[in-house]
Amino acid sequence: MKSAKEKRPAGQKQYYRRKKVCKFCVERIDTINYKDVKLLSQFVPERAKIMPRRISGVCSPHQRLLNDAIKKARNIALLPFTTE
Amino acid sequence: MRNYEIMFIVNPNAPEEEIDKINGQIETVVTSGGGKVEKLEKMGKRRLAYEVDKQREGYYVLFVMTANGDIIKECERRLRVIDAVIKYITVRTDEEARRVDKLRSFRQKRAARRGTSHGSGAPKESIEEAMQ
Repeated sequence: MKSAKEKRPAGQKQYYRRKKVCKFCVERIDTINYKDVKLLSQFVPERAKIMPRRISGVCSPHQRLLNDAIKKARNIALLPFTTE
Repeated sequence: MRNYEIMFIVNPNAPEEEIDKINGQIETVVTSGGGKVEKLEKMGKRRLAYEVDKQREGYYVLFVMTANGDIIKECERRLRVIDAVIKYITVRTDEEARRVDKLRSFRQKRAARRGTSHGSGAPKESIEEAMQ
């Protein structure tokens, strides 16, 4: 799915998917702080679940940091566990 | 000595003096134990993401300190005892800071090695390695 140049049988429609890049790698964000609600809420969609990596495109080291931060933020009521 | 952050939420109906009193108490615990309060920030009232103790709002206070395990234990005990404090969290920050320092120095070294170009498009594996 990542490489758009993959060979496909003739006649099949070609999908060009924009390659997702990790926001934290691109912007060189080293620390993901649990107090930064504005940043974290970008990765917490409506149902208050943590956005999976396959959708957000975050790399695995950063996703790990992000998970920790979100969970800490939930603990101190900065982010919700669920929506009512 | 390690670096810690303690964040706690005080009942919004508590008077300002009570919040100051709690802060004073924590501060004395830290300083008498040989630690140091580096920052005390009253973040003020904000909406809670979920209901805690039938409250929808809370007064947030943040302590940044250098302390050891005993001091933290005592602080947490105090916070549990005080009724006005509805929630608290302690986070150790020195390990994270060390990780970031390592990452920064790594990046600098690489930038120096590459001369003028500022290390763009560098091998991704090595960044991930340094982050562990």
